[in-house]
Amino acid sequence: MKDTLRWAYALNQWNVRLDVFVRHEDQQRALKTVSACGFDTIELASGTGRWDNISRPEVILLNHGSHSGFLDFLRRARVQGVSSMFWDPQAPAEEEEGYAFRSTANPDDHDAIVEWAKPFVDFLAGVGAEQLVVRPVGSAWMSPPLGADGIKVIGDVWNRIGELTSAAGLGLALHYDCLGAVHTTEELTGLLEATDPATVGLALDTAEFTIGGIDPVAYYREHADRVTHVHLKDTRYADTGEEYRMPGAESTMLKGGAGRRIERWFYELGTEDGLVDVPGFVAALRERDFPGWVVIESDHGGNPAELAMLNSWYLQHELGVAK
Amino acid sequence: MDHWRSNGPAGPVDQWHSHRTMSAFLKQIKATGFDAIDTFDFRIWQMYGDYGGPAKYQEMVRDHGLERIVNTFHAADYDVRNYAPHLPETHENILEDFRVTMGRWSEIELDNIIVMPATLYYDMEPITEDKIKYTAECWNKVGEITAGFGVRLTCHHEFFCGIQSEPDLETFYSHTDDRYVSLFVDTAQHCIASVDPVAFYRRHAHRVSGFHFKDTRDVATGDDHRHRPDSEIMAPTTGKWFHEMGTPHGLVDFEAMMTAVRDNGYRGWISVEHDKANKEGGDYSESTAISRWYAKNVLEEIYR
Repeated sequence: MKDTLRWAYALNQWNVRLDVFVRHEDQQRALKTVSACGFDTIELASGTGRWDNISRPEVILLNHGSHSGFLDFLRRARVQGVSSMFWDPQAPAEEEEGYAFRSTANPDDHDAIVEWAKPFVDFLAGVGAEQLVVRPVGSAWMSPPLGADGIKVIGDVWNRIGELTSAAGLGLALHYDCLGAVHTTEELTGLLEATDPATVGLALDTAEFTIGGIDPVAYYREHADRVTHVHLKDTRYADTGEEYRMPGAESTMLKGGAGRRIERWFYELGTEDGLVDVPGFVAALRERDFPGWVVIESDHGGNPAELAMLNSWYLQHELGVAK
Repeated sequence: MDHWRSNGPAGPVDQWHSHRTMSAFLKQIKATGFDAIDTFDFRIWQMYGDYGGPAKYQEMVRDHGLERIVNTFHAADYDVRNYAPHLPETHENILEDFRVTMGRWSEIELDNIIVMPATLYYDMEPITEDKIKYTAECWNKVGEITAGFGVRLTCHHEFFCGIQSEPDLETFYSHTDDRYVSLFVDTAQHCIASVDPVAFYRRHAHRVSGFHFKDTRDVATGDDHRHRPDSEIMAPTTGKWFHEMGTPHGLVDFEAMMTAVRDNGYRGWISVEHDKANKEGGDYSESTAISRWYAKNVLEEIYR
């Protein structure tokens, strides 16, 4: 996209299951699709194991030999580089002590989590990316409410990782999601206050904010100085009954319909009855000359190619972004 | 081109299922960088029923950023009893069909009306020079009618139609009037029929009025071209004949094709077709994007 904002596309929706997005030609088709839609930069999402050869840093390097080998692979499809990579240290990974369950809310886990971050930091620096985007805390239903002390503990580990990313020339962006134990506006702001603005930023996901009950436009306007990364997507629903606290909310709420038969939470830009004020949000980014990456996602939607094309159309024809 | 399937709450549907699916289709075509669409002629009933006619439908096309409808494909259901170009006694029916058809389309500007110029192979064999000559006479007359509406009559040779081999193609074009009968080169169809589309195009470039750019990995063998109702679907050797440009092991030399297009200074439209792209796990959306990627990054480097 030829614009003053920098647009990238997330590959997460293509990699929906362990072994469906492994062959290099399948990955090339996804990359060419993204390229044809006008995006020359991608966001990766972390994974685990030998099948995640476009998700797990060590496995990517095994497949492509080096950072430059991986970039050459992207550039065969005319994708020039990587903006960012998403990582959730709460998600068990084979490479992280053999699927150890650790939490940023537990100070005893911090040393290990800092170690786990290092392959991502090294990889992102090696491919010239800019942001490590992280899930700052696990799901709310899995633990008691955090309180101010709990949020400070979480801030501590991200400050340590922020030092690592900063030393490597990267940003660290905490990605709010609608299931996280940091859920309310006050909790999110408390987490930002518990972290160092020089090294830790916020990844603002417009749909996740909206589902979680936070107005993304208003929050951005109030905290623009802390927002270093954006995920742009829409939703038709908000969590209207503390559904994020449902046991097993990943399955019962996001996949199971929250008892309301909601089949899908995340939608492409321009969806009918979308709750996100996308033009308003993008206008706010422009007002502040937002310098970070704005990443479009086909997250848990439908056909990833179709959604990438619909998102591209929206950018071009509703937001006036030149391809 | 018109072929499309997507999955939704109603299961697999084509773009004509609803205004919503049509909108999604048009957005996807435009988003990747295509500028116009082709349709099948039989869609005109949906244009009237769902949109108020071709002009109203074209307004919707334009609302999505596309320029217009360029070509319509007149997919006639040939029948040797009353509608078969190699049978002169059926010609008046064919001519009357085009008088009516062109009137229906006259409210918009079309470049071409595309036809498969012969019946299915099994309804025309043995293919003789006389039959080809009768066929050419038919299309000369049809071409005069379409020209009266400002639209070129152009011929698209499926590998399973009666005129598809190189000698028969040459005979057919030697008997047709280049003022009234043009050639529409479908790269995959010619390859399947063992005709080199590049050489064929170079020989007839002066009368080529359009292209379907798509690839194939297979050449028809044995009696592949003789299966009812349609060899594209029923030929026993090959489950999926068509692939998007740039497919591995594709038989069409698109770089040579585009070089020939450049050398001949062609300035018309090139249509990309995803015929049955959803077979064997394929996906129309992805094929559209991959084709456009190929056109931009390979073909436009040769000639834009």
